[in-house]
Amino acid sequence: MKQRQTAVAGDAAHLAGLTVFLQEFWAAANLPPTQALPFELALEEVFMNVVMHGAGAGAAPWVEVSLCLADEGLTMTVEDDGPQFDPLSLPPPDVTASLAQRPVGGLGVFLVRQMMDAVSYRRVGARNRLSMTKHIAR
Amino acid sequence: MNIQLETLGQTTLVMPQGRLDFGSAPVFQQRLEQLLAGGGTAPAALIIDCAGLDYVSSAGLRVFLLAARAAQRAGTAFAVCSLKPPVREVFDLSGFARIISVHADRDSAFAHLQPGRA
Repeated sequence: MKQRQTAVAGDAAHLAGLTVFLQEFWAAANLPPTQALPFELALEEVFMNVVMHGAGAGAAPWVEVSLCLADEGLTMTVEDDGPQFDPLSLPPPDVTASLAQRPVGGLGVFLVRQMMDAVSYRRVGARNRLSMTKHIAR
Repeated sequence: MNIQLETLGQTTLVMPQGRLDFGSAPVFQQRLEQLLAGGGTAPAALIIDCAGLDYVSSAGLRVFLLAARAAQRAGTAFAVCSLKPPVREVFDLSGFARIISVHADRDSAFAHLQPGRA
């Protein structure tokens, strides 16, 4: 089992199910549990971004998550048919700001970029496609 | 998410268990807001003991940030301890370990919060 795909409506209620999808893939592929964090976190951050930014037209977008295991690592791709939105265009938060000056948002995408080896965004037709790859030591 | 509380003298210990994500963050935030509400009922010190916390996302970090600020307003000394590696990694990457008092275990958190030494 090297590749899996699932699709849900962009509704926060589906986050738990998507996390289970990832965990099942992880277990079935015999990947080390200690290295699941970047993918669990990226799935939550990216999916919740789509949920929050993607409902511009009223209806929740459709979100497709695929996992592909190859020699260079695991690639997780999140695609949605919501309004064009490139999360990588967001300015990075100031992680040196003091307690009082720290903005309460904007950390999600920053954490994903820090944890993954490669992150890329493309608008493909009417869809946003965010791909994230990280090597998994085994 | 299950949240346990323990009171030791003037210090309240909060022990979140499981995953702190978008789903559970509001519950945790509400619990901490209740504890740190003004009106003179806030404890002298509050320690969040993360020994049972397996995962934290940006939604969870946000709760820690808001709690640290609420504690400051309430005059409550605030510290976090016993972070598991996945939680520690998220704290370090986000720079939170620099703005929130983070300790290896409960004892060192207590030592740090001793009146006159905090």
